[in-house]
Amino acid sequence: MNRYLYDGTADGLLSSIAWILEEEPDPEKVTLAKRMDTLFEEGFTIGTDATLAESLFFRLKQHAPDAAHTLYSFMLAEKEGMETSLLHYVSLAFKHGDKVKGYLTHPAVRDIVNVAQKAGRELHRMKGLLRFEKLQDGAYLAKMEPDYNIIHPLADHFSRRLRAQHWFLYDVKRRMAARWNNGTLQFGTIEQFTTPALSEDEKKVQALWQAFFKTIAIPDRKNPRLQKSNMPMKYWKYLVEKQGE
Amino acid sequence: MDTLAKLQILSGAARYDASCASSGSKREGPSSGTGNTSSSGICHSWADDGRCISLLKILLSNDCIYDCAYCVNRSTNPVERASFTAREVIDLTLDFYRRNYIEGLFLSSAVMQSPDQTMERMVRVAEALRTEEQFGGYIHMKIIPGCSSDLVRKAGLYADRISVNIELPSQASLQRLAPQKHKHAILEPMALIGREIATSLVERKASCRAPRFAPAGQSTQMIIGASPENDFQILRLSQGLYKKMNLKRVYYSAYVPVIADNRLPVLAAPPLLREHRLYQADWLLRFYGFSAEEILSDDAPHLDESFDPKTAWALRHPEFFPVEINGADYATLLRVPGIGVLSAKRIVAARRFSRITPDGLKKIGVVIKRAKYFITCSGRSFEKPDQPPALIRQRLLLGESSEAPMSILPKQLVLPGLIA
Repeated sequence: MNRYLYDGTADGLLSSIAWILEEEPDPEKVTLAKRMDTLFEEGFTIGTDATLAESLFFRLKQHAPDAAHTLYSFMLAEKEGMETSLLHYVSLAFKHGDKVKGYLTHPAVRDIVNVAQKAGRELHRMKGLLRFEKLQDGAYLAKMEPDYNIIHPLADHFSRRLRAQHWFLYDVKRRMAARWNNGTLQFGTIEQFTTPALSEDEKKVQALWQAFFKTIAIPDRKNPRLQKSNMPMKYWKYLVEKQGE
Repeated sequence: MDTLAKLQILSGAARYDASCASSGSKREGPSSGTGNTSSSGICHSWADDGRCISLLKILLSNDCIYDCAYCVNRSTNPVERASFTAREVIDLTLDFYRRNYIEGLFLSSAVMQSPDQTMERMVRVAEALRTEEQFGGYIHMKIIPGCSSDLVRKAGLYADRISVNIELPSQASLQRLAPQKHKHAILEPMALIGREIATSLVERKASCRAPRFAPAGQSTQMIIGASPENDFQILRLSQGLYKKMNLKRVYYSAYVPVIADNRLPVLAAPPLLREHRLYQADWLLRFYGFSAEEILSDDAPHLDESFDPKTAWALRHPEFFPVEINGADYATLLRVPGIGVLSAKRIVAARRFSRITPDGLKKIGVVIKRAKYFITCSGRSFEKPDQPPALIRQRLLLGESSEAPMSILPKQLVLPGLIA
């Protein structure tokens, strides 16, 4: 059984998968792991090739769009230690097409689909739970601390939705930011973040939302457990309506 | 009165409307404006009662000329009255939308001077949002029964979803509790909306520039437990609404006593379990291929409190079981208690690759706690075969005794397709 290693980057992962699919007669029999550079590490290291990585994703998208979407969501999760599963999943996706996502009795498919689903779920959740604050200069800023690295697809969503606004997304844990202004979307990292001043009417609008949030609940049906299961407390930190609770 | 005080009164008055969906519509929105809609819908928060908040749900006014017994806004109830100006509603909607608090606006109203006058003011808000403000987000508008059909048509052109509340499940109850409302004034606009939606769909097939009419369809709501109708009557009514009027959703709202009235029952608490069972039965009608007559009958017109309606059906029909996981078609799998739309789809998809073993069934995420009494896997039973229904009934009750009957409520029903 052959063992392969890659450099730990996303491009490295995808390009080594592309390489193995090309060179190995039975990719489901080999393993792939991140290179640790320890003394007794065994395995053949595959070099990183960004164009190869890109072309793999492109071919998969043509062949099995759903499976490519799963791969994309899986990559958002930045999970380590599942490289072999991913290799087997991609190999199966080329073999079976989009039907592969139903092959949940296969351990590799199940692992990849589960992780992808969790990342996809958080992305969907954040589309609702993200909160923008209006700044003094008229731009809007939303801070978040998601479990998965979802800033790219999230920014895409808001670039279609809040087109006429100038806004920023900021992933506090990863120090990553997205900026939308005049029809262009940019990404970058921020080393030193200082919270800018809020616009004058911001606190007033927040108070309106807090008041609405309180009165819209039916007192006779109070159900904090259901509220928490739908909206886990880890997201409350940036929710305007949950401040001061 | 300032906007904050009005918002408190007019959202408090709107909270008894159960509808909160923001799904079913896919709108790109004008390029220079704000907002689009997502076909799966997005929840933005969850209130202290656990219900999702996706729309700014408010009344335009709670100043009502009607005197419906069950309603907090009835004219003889001494509550504080308020009305929004169109500008106030528009600013609230946009301020909230730009901060991603909401998916859009849910606008209803008490009947101010007349149905026409009220509906016209509501339509004007939606019109201004769409045309002056270029708002592309979701709009759900209530139709005031008795307003002109021109206003209904206009509402459907601006809104994603429109709805007429049926309020009570029968003409007799309507007459007793809401004497100013009439069955025909409710059903007529519903039928009109159904026709307009159908026409618009045909026209849009011919030309994508044809106007959309309520692309997210129409829904309705009825109050449960304020009047004497049984579950069978209610379910048959819903079935008729889905089949004949093409409704997207019927909402059930457990009656919450807001004011004492000798025409109303005295309840210790809102009938939440009954509401929950009705929603489960409603799901069986829409996604599981059941008919109201299979779920209930004139002899047994009430939904079982201890079992969900599908389990109750299965216990009455031992001849249908066991169902073979590796052979049964999708529709048959859906009839197994504990196997939902997602599980049935997973079973069908996984069977393409290999036979499913009992272990594999668990691995693909099918919960067999209830299903195990009703299925076989390649001929093998999970439980001793041919147990009498009475015994299964008892074991199911014991198996579920770890949760009190009310603790099943927190599981909010999710639309299939929402989470793939």
